[in-house]
Order: sequence, then structure tokens, then C-alpha cells
Amino acid sequence: MVFNSLTFVVFFACVLGVHSLPLPWTTKKINLLIASYLFYSAWNPPFVILLWVSTVIDWYAAQGLVKARRATARHAWMMLSVIANLGMLGYFKYGQFLLDNFTALMGALGIAYHPAHYDIVLPVGISFYTFATMSYTLDVYLRRAAPARNLLDYALFVTFFPHLVAGPIMRPTELVPQFAKPRRASAEQLRFGLMLMTLGLFNKIVLADSFLARAAERVYDGNSMPGTLDAWAGTLAFSAQIFCDFAGYSTTAIGAALCLGFAMPDNFRFSYAAVGFSDFWRRWHITLSSWLRDYLYIPLGGNRHGARRTYVALMVTMLLGGLWHGANWTFVAWGGLHGLYLAVERVVRARFVNYRPGPIVFVLLGLLTYTLVNITWVFFRAKTFGKAWLVLRGMFGQNSAARPILSTFYLASVAAIVGCLVLTHWLMRARTLESVVARVPALAMCLVWALMAFAIIIAQGTGSAFIYFQF
Amino acid sequence: MPSSISSSELTPETHEARGRSAADLSAVAPPFEHRYKRQTAADRPGVAQPVPVRPVPEQPWGAILLGVVALLTLLIGGWEWYWRAYGVRPSIGNTLGLWSIQRRRIDAGEGSATVLVGASRLYFDLQLPVWERLDGKRPIQLSFEGTSPLTAVEDLAADPKFTGRLIIGVAPDVFFSGFEFHAGAARYAHRESPSQRVGQWLSMHFIEPLLAFEDPDYALATVLQRQPWPKRPGKMWFTNVRKLSDTEADRNTHLWSKLESDPQYREMARNIWRQDFQPTDEDPSPEEALKTATEQIDRMSKAVAKLRAHGVKVLFVRPPSTGEYLAYENRQFPRTRTWDALLAVTGAPGIHFEDYPQLQGYYLPEWSHMTRAEAERFTAALYGIISREFWRPNPPAAAHTADASP
Repeated sequence: MVFNSLTFVVFFACVLGVHSLPLPWTTKKINLLIASYLFYSAWNPPFVILLWVSTVIDWYAAQGLVKARRATARHAWMMLSVIANLGMLGYFKYGQFLLDNFTALMGALGIAYHPAHYDIVLPVGISFYTFATMSYTLDVYLRRAAPARNLLDYALFVTFFPHLVAGPIMRPTELVPQFAKPRRASAEQLRFGLMLMTLGLFNKIVLADSFLARAAERVYDGNSMPGTLDAWAGTLAFSAQIFCDFAGYSTTAIGAALCLGFAMPDNFRFSYAAVGFSDFWRRWHITLSSWLRDYLYIPLGGNRHGARRTYVALMVTMLLGGLWHGANWTFVAWGGLHGLYLAVERVVRARFVNYRPGPIVFVLLGLLTYTLVNITWVFFRAKTFGKAWLVLRGMFGQNSAARPILSTFYLASVAAIVGCLVLTHWLMRARTLESVVARVPALAMCLVWALMAFAIIIAQGTGSAFIYFQF
Repeated sequence: MPSSISSSELTPETHEARGRSAADLSAVAPPFEHRYKRQTAADRPGVAQPVPVRPVPEQPWGAILLGVVALLTLLIGGWEWYWRAYGVRPSIGNTLGLWSIQRRRIDAGEGSATVLVGASRLYFDLQLPVWERLDGKRPIQLSFEGTSPLTAVEDLAADPKFTGRLIIGVAPDVFFSGFEFHAGAARYAHRESPSQRVGQWLSMHFIEPLLAFEDPDYALATVLQRQPWPKRPGKMWFTNVRKLSDTEADRNTHLWSKLESDPQYREMARNIWRQDFQPTDEDPSPEEALKTATEQIDRMSKAVAKLRAHGVKVLFVRPPSTGEYLAYENRQFPRTRTWDALLAVTGAPGIHFEDYPQLQGYYLPEWSHMTRAEAERFTAALYGIISREFWRPNPPAAAHTADASP
């Protein structure tokens, strides 16, 4: 089920109620595990089997890793986990993509290949939980973590519903220890957790779905050629939409976990106030970027084997990171552009080691980063390269025959939301939400919270899925 | 309000690790900020990530929450009062989930039922209680406003469990253009998740019967969008269709009484239709429109053939329209090229309101849909024609034993 649904409201109320009962800790954990399976099966019950398969394989792989005495045996157990998880991901997420590309390749070679229809439904959140379970065996393999003490704690780590389908991508060392001893949210944690959930849902239902998504859809999904204003407005709308959608999900997830007494890591840090692309990736989807860094970039050599190898590792990481987001070459192009940006930044930084920008240049560099990030979003949002080029041409004033697409209402709402969002990120780039909340007068806090909740209710969201569910 | 929840600044520990003292750092940021600062995985490459820390900001959270509940209650109460004062009353949301409930009845033992599928006219103008009173059985309403019935008919044609009677409503501008305001209803019904089903049930039992403002026409963005924003030069201004109907739990639907009682609202509804009557640059050429209509008829013909193959009796119905709407339809979708062609190609019988005096002379406030009272009268008249000329009424004990369709 999605967080922005009535079903979740009732489900979460029941979970909170049951979790607050005076039951033994093991019983409470079993309750949470059952609730998490219910949460997942509410989409498509048979896919719970995949979750079980992933859980069991990595549980036994980690056990095998610990017991193995020879390096080759350890390696084999690790490979079993990686192949099983990536195999599952490959079959469900990239099967059609691979088949389409193979067919196209055969066609280019003059061979008419007609494969059988590949009608596979993508299990929701598979990219997230396979990465979470892989991090478990990889951490044990890399001797960074000991295996979980019991299957219940491990299964709950994989399945815990707040992070299950769209992250933050948890590491075992972050969550498993929290299951070791009884936890129950304090009254303050419960209330602050509810406030975080309201904030997250406000971002998703009100800002992302009600205003930004519609503007982006008109530019990206329509048949009209966008002019400069529409192309930029549509792209800026999407950049804000994907932030509000995904950061909204993460904030809701963190709030839900906090209501139950668990802490989850940050996934976003005021991303649109980033100065430079390495800074951007320290602020955007942190749990994925750090996962790719720890389990892909560093094992590929990282920056330890000279400049050439570093750039290769960087590009491979970003290209695969792009592909992780979706089975389409446009996502690969998105990742490739970010890889290119990071490489160029690395070269520039090496050349200007001692340069420290003043405040104006600092802000200008931030705006340059934001602009270039927006250009990458074009490839992320467009369904085809043709559409991406059309929008890019529009952004650079090349669509002279374009006619207006967005009405004044959409232009105004995009300008207002994007402006407020970017300004807020700059004002808060060196702060935390908690530090700001602690300074806000209680009355103002009350008013803002109530208005957000009211906006959520009257926005009448349709329970649309979060963008990242498809990944 | 932002939704990121952490700072990217380094913590004192990291600064110390990089050779700066804590004293240097305190000159940069006050201790208050430090209380809520924390590292993330981005700050800790290549190591096991520790259990996250999530401090709760110091605030009187209990009092704040109480205030939020009180204020929220007031705001919702005010919003509800505002829309009720406008004339809105609670009704069931006309959602894909509600449609799916009715669609599933066919596969759950009611395959021999009479099913209605069309656009808004068959939806608003055919009153299920009246039909039930005359026929003894309540039909299944699968019409959707602004939506061609073709996809739904194709879906029924692919379902061997459906063996009953099918009335297909024809609103020319929707039917022959293939327009679908509610696209994908059949697909949704077949793929609806357990979560969506539960959500639909909760909403139609605990939210929609209580709250009048729970209607897409009064959603925040929709309300803001229809304010008098300055027009953008070169951008065609188009007002979306406003609320026209009230729906019940089994999708029995009737025209909203405000269209009868409020001349201003009625005129607004007419003006919204008038937008469609004006030619625009985006309209298809006559050749393209004819091609589309032909395609729609061909697809419908195939679907009807499949339906008939498994015993379904099909009847097309063209409900009335009046005034400028009828003039527009006659101009853009002349009967000979659309309705007559449809019956000829499909070989199915049909009832056109112009052919029956008892289906004429009704009051349609905005030229397209009847008032509730008129719809009840129309339903009785239509049922009379159908039972007399096309289908024999259901005998009380053994329904569908005979058929007199031509």
C-alpha cells in the first residue's frame, strides 16, 4: 500500500495500537514482521514470495560466509547472494529491456527475431530490497558487520515496512541492532514522527501531485512542441516534483519509523542548494549514492589506482546508477551525464586546489549546479530520446514554431513552488530540520502543521504511486 | 516547508579528524545547531554505517498536537460549510474503484444481468431504481462520463462469463471520436490491488457519505486553477467541465439539482459545452474525424460479434440532446455517417431518440443531460420501448428464456 492512502492510515493506526500493547518484545517483532508482509502483499500478494526468497538466500549466504574457512568458499557465498539478487532484479526489471535491445541488435544485423511476448509485472520496490539484502551479505563478506543473531531480526530488517519499497536503503548495521532490545516511541517521538509524516505527505500529495506533476505532464507527455518558457517550466516542475515526491516519501518513512520508536537515516539534505556535483550526491538520495560508493565505486578501485582508473570507476558507477532507476537508455544517459559532471568537477578541483569562492561566486556556482542538474532531469523524465531532445531544444530556444502549453496558473504555481523550494534549501543548507523546528514558536508550529494537514485533506489526492516505486 | 531533514555540514568529530579544533568550529556555528547536527552515510565512506540518531526538537509537542487537532477540525468544518452553502451534498465518488466493484459483479454470479455502458447520457439519464421497478432486476451501470464505451465493451466481449443483455449508449461526440476521460477502467478493474480495494471501501463508507467537499471539482488545485488568472497570450483558454452529477454506491447517477435551480450555474455549464462547439486548430480534419469514426465502428463491430457469439443481446441507444449541443452533433457527426453506419456495420438493433416521440420533449438544462425527474420518466419510456420492441421482460421465475430481438 502507498503511504498516501486511506488504507495506510487505518493500517498504521492498527500497527501503532498493537505495537503499544504490553507484549513481549519478540511478539512485537513478529507483529511488525506480519504487518510488513501485509503492507507489501497489499500490492500483489504473490510477490511476497520474492521477498522471502531474497531474505532466505541472503540469510543462508551470510551464515555460509561466517562458517567458511577458505577465501574461495567465502567468495562463493558472496557471489551466490549477488547473483541471486541481481538475477531476480534482472529478470523482473530488465528482462523486457534486454529482449528489446537484443531484438533491435538482431534487426540491425538483418536477422528478423520475434521473441515471445514478455508480460512480466515489476514487483514494487524490488530495486530497494534487493540492495538492502545485498548490503547485508556484502557487509558480512567485507567483515564490516557480524551476521544477525536470529532470522527474525534479519527478516524484519529486510521487510520493515517504512523502508521496504522506496528506501531509505538501510544497511544491516543501521537497523538490526535496533531490534536487539525493546523499543517503544516516547510521546515526544510519536508526536514529532506524526509531524514528519504530515510534512512528507504534504510534499507528496499537495506539492508534487496536485501542482507540479500536472505541469510536467503537459510538457513531457503532450504532443506539443515546447518553447523556451514551457520547456524550462516543465523541467523545473519535474525537478521539484521528484524532490517533493521522493524526499516526501523518505520523510514519511522516517516519521513512521519514529512513531514506532526506530531511527532511520537521512536520505536528502536540501539537495538543490548543492554547490558542485559531488556535493549534490552527498545530498540527493544519500542512501543509494553511498551504497553505490561503498559496494561498487570503491570495489572498482575508487580513487586508489590513478586518475584514469578513477574516472572509469566513476563513469561505470554512475551509468549503472542510472540504469538502476529504470530499464531505459534515457536513464543511462542521465547517469552518464552525472558521471561526466563529476569527472569534470574532479578535473577543475584538481586545477584550482587552493581556490575558495566568495559568497557571490559560491551562490553562482550553486545556481550553475542546479541548472546543470535540471538538464539531466530532462533525460530522466522524457520517455524517449526524441522527446528529450525536443525539450532540450526548447530550453535553449531552438523551437521557434512552439506555441504556449502551460497556462498562467501552472506557470505561477511552478514559479512559486520552485522558488520557495530552492530558497528554503539555500536557507537551510547548513542546518537540520530539527534545529529549525526547535526555534519556531509553538503557535507558529501548530499553525503550519495544521495548514499542511488541511491542505493534504482538501487536495484530495488520488493515492497515486510515488515515482520511485517504479524503480 | 522543506522535506530534507539533515544538514550537510560536517560534525565536530569530522572537523577534528581533518585537523581543525572544536574551538575553531564553535566560532563558525553556535552550539544550538550542533545539538541537531548529524552525519549521514555520505560522510562515512567504506565503513559499516552505525545506528542513526534522530533527536526530537524541544517543543511542547503535546500542546501543539492538541492545537493542530482543534485547528484542523475548525478548518475542515469551515471548508465543509462553505461547499454545503454552495449547494453541494455528500455523494459517492465516481472513481475507477467504484466502477470496478460493479464490473466484478459480472464475474461473481451476475453474468446474465443487464449491463449499461456508455458515456454520461446513459449514465445520468437511465435511473436504475425505475428500471428495477419495471424489470424486477437492477442493471449494472458501467457507463462513465466523457468516455467512449468501446474499451468497456471490448472487455465484456472478452469475458465468457457475461451472457446477459448489453445496452450501449451513444453520445456521438464521445463515441465516434473514441475520447476517453476515464481511460483504463477495465484494466484497473482487473489489476486493482487489495490495498486499492480496501481504500475504495473505506472511502465510500466513511468519508464520501459524510463530506460534501470530497469531490474532484472542489480539490485544492482545481479550485485554484479556475480562479480568474490572467490569460497567457497565445494560450487557448479552456474551462474544464464542472460538477454535473451525484452518484450513489451502486453508481446510479443523476444530474446535480443545481443545474435546475441555479440559472447562473446552468449557463456556465452551457458555456463550457460551447467551447467544444467552436472549431480550433487542434481539431482533426474532416477526413481524420471520419477515419477515427470508422475505426471506432469497426472495433465495436468486432466486439459486438464476439458478444453475440456467447449469447449476449446487444442494443444501441442514442439518448436525447437538445439546443446548441444537438445542433453541434448534427453538424459534426451527421446521423447517416455515424449512427446509421454503426447499426449497419454491427448489425445490432438500436433506438435513436429522434425515432420515438416518447423519447422526445424532455428538459435538459444544459442540453446534454436530463433532470432527475425527467430521467426517471425517460427510463420508463425507454424500458417500455425495449420490452415491447426488442427484449421481452424477465419472467419472475425464469429470466432470459426468450428473446424477441430482431
